[in-house]
Amino acid sequence: MTRRWRCRQTKPTKSLEENENLQRSSELVRLAMFTELNSILNTSPESFTPGEFILLSDRQSDASFLIHHFLSFYLKARCKVCFVALVQSFSHYHAVSQRLGVSLTQAKEKGQLIFLEGLKESLSVFLPQEENAGHQAMSFLRDPAAGLRSLYEFVQSSVVESSGGGGASAEQWGPPVLLMDDVSVLLSLGVRVGAVLDFSHYCRTTVCSQLQGNVVMLVRCDGEAEEDDADDEGSEQLMRGLTHQSCLTLHVQGLPTGYCRDIHGQVEFCWKKRQSDGQHAPKKVFQFKVHDKGVSFFARGTSRAVL
Amino acid sequence: MLSELLQGTDVGGFLLIQDSCSYSGRHLLKSFIDAALNREEVVHVLGLDVSEEELKEGLKSFVFQRLHFHDAYADPLGWTDNSPFTVHQFSSSRLTELLKQTAPSKPATLVIDSLSWVLRHISPTAVCHTLQQLKKGGAVRTIIGLLHEDMHSRGIVGSVCRLATSVITVEPGTKGEEALAKITKRSKSGKVTQDEQIFSIRKDLTVTVLSKPTNPGHKRSTTEEQVDPTANLTFNLRLTDAEREAKEKLALPFVFSKEKKTALLHSGPGSGKILYEPDASDDYDQEDPDDDLDV
Repeated sequence: MTRRWRCRQTKPTKSLEENENLQRSSELVRLAMFTELNSILNTSPESFTPGEFILLSDRQSDASFLIHHFLSFYLKARCKVCFVALVQSFSHYHAVSQRLGVSLTQAKEKGQLIFLEGLKESLSVFLPQEENAGHQAMSFLRDPAAGLRSLYEFVQSSVVESSGGGGASAEQWGPPVLLMDDVSVLLSLGVRVGAVLDFSHYCRTTVCSQLQGNVVMLVRCDGEAEEDDADDEGSEQLMRGLTHQSCLTLHVQGLPTGYCRDIHGQVEFCWKKRQSDGQHAPKKVFQFKVHDKGVSFFARGTSRAVL
Repeated sequence: MLSELLQGTDVGGFLLIQDSCSYSGRHLLKSFIDAALNREEVVHVLGLDVSEEELKEGLKSFVFQRLHFHDAYADPLGWTDNSPFTVHQFSSSRLTELLKQTAPSKPATLVIDSLSWVLRHISPTAVCHTLQQLKKGGAVRTIIGLLHEDMHSRGIVGSVCRLATSVITVEPGTKGEEALAKITKRSKSGKVTQDEQIFSIRKDLTVTVLSKPTNPGHKRSTTEEQVDPTANLTFNLRLTDAEREAKEKLALPFVFSKEKKTALLHSGPGSGKILYEPDASDDYDQEDPDDDLDV
């Protein structure tokens, strides 16, 4: 019987919601690394394809466990990570990553992780106390129609300074990685879909093409997939645009047949480029179950509850 | 029809490849570029969606001298200060100038990857105007454009399709490597031909047209012979001529002819008679209430 995770840090009392989020996420990520996911994607921290734009998406489900996986994956691979976290606090990610065997505070101190805490920085836009890089990055909150150029410039300065070499004590990190959690919240902050697509394009040119790093973005959709015309304001159009830009998409959704206690959903993997061996394996669907010790992936119909 | 389009005999035309999230049209676009380069044509690519390396992947290196890539991918909006080409420079004069720089003698093939990027930042009217001017001007032999049809409203997609002399809409096929192409071709005389073909693209970018898609429904039923249901049974369902005659003679029980009706209603001698004497309160109607029945 596994012990339930309990908050041991001496911090001011967290809100109920934050506690719930923490427990849910910690239940998801007990496993040190998602070995099954790595084998599906044919990657490991020692060898992964550089220059990839990976899109994580979900519809009426929660794909944030994938963000936690990729965060710990790239930190373990000794990459320089720039994490734009717009939906949760630093302590949330820190607590979850500790379960995965990675310490975000240490990574931040060593200069491996550059963390933009959107929730905290957004306050500083409206109540300016000191000028810092994060303040500039979130300046789109004052004028959403102007676009995300300042956010892009923050990302660019974070990833480019790694190749500059910061002094004698700076360690050599691997290729830069940009993680974003999540992109669709920008739409609710008033940014247009076109501006977000421009921002992701520029991130791709700088991180993937110029610096041979990777970009991982999470986009969330609510509601059913629309069958009709492209709607200019919707998260559906954003997801379509990002799918066109990405070379690998992981789409998380609930089971089409409804709720199941033993299978929590399915993940659809779509590769756009041909694999290096010439085989075109465009789509694979796996079901997953979240349990205390992590997330397990299995082919459809092979859940232990069914076999 | 796809093979004819790949041969590029159509001069002064605008070929549009439409794709969606489920299947990327870039592989087919690269096949067209490859075919044009193999015909010793000069190809100019305005690259917005993907980088030069990604586009050149798969093309043979000896044709690169005829392939000119105009990099609008690195900085399409001019956010850094030294952008080779921004999307706002998409106009017929600027493009003609670019084309004349590298191939002054013969008209080149212009490939735009992708038109969706341009349409996001420039009004559709201006884009259509530019495309029309490029078609009419002499600097361009053919224009090949890639459009993501699920990124724009139907009106915009329709406007761009109207300008095109050929439109190929690609969709994923039923089997792994195959894809379905729906082709609409407008000839100069105004005749419109449509076709659907299944194709696959090999690693060396050659396109193999496989077959027409098997369309279950109308095509097959007209040519199919009538299947005889009484064949191949363990019991006999057929009738001989005598049996058929007897069957047709048989009077069905509830189908009444006039004679049978009168015979039933006015029963012959020997059978029982019904005598009916109405009371004072009975409403005796002499008329037969069933007279209007057509039995």
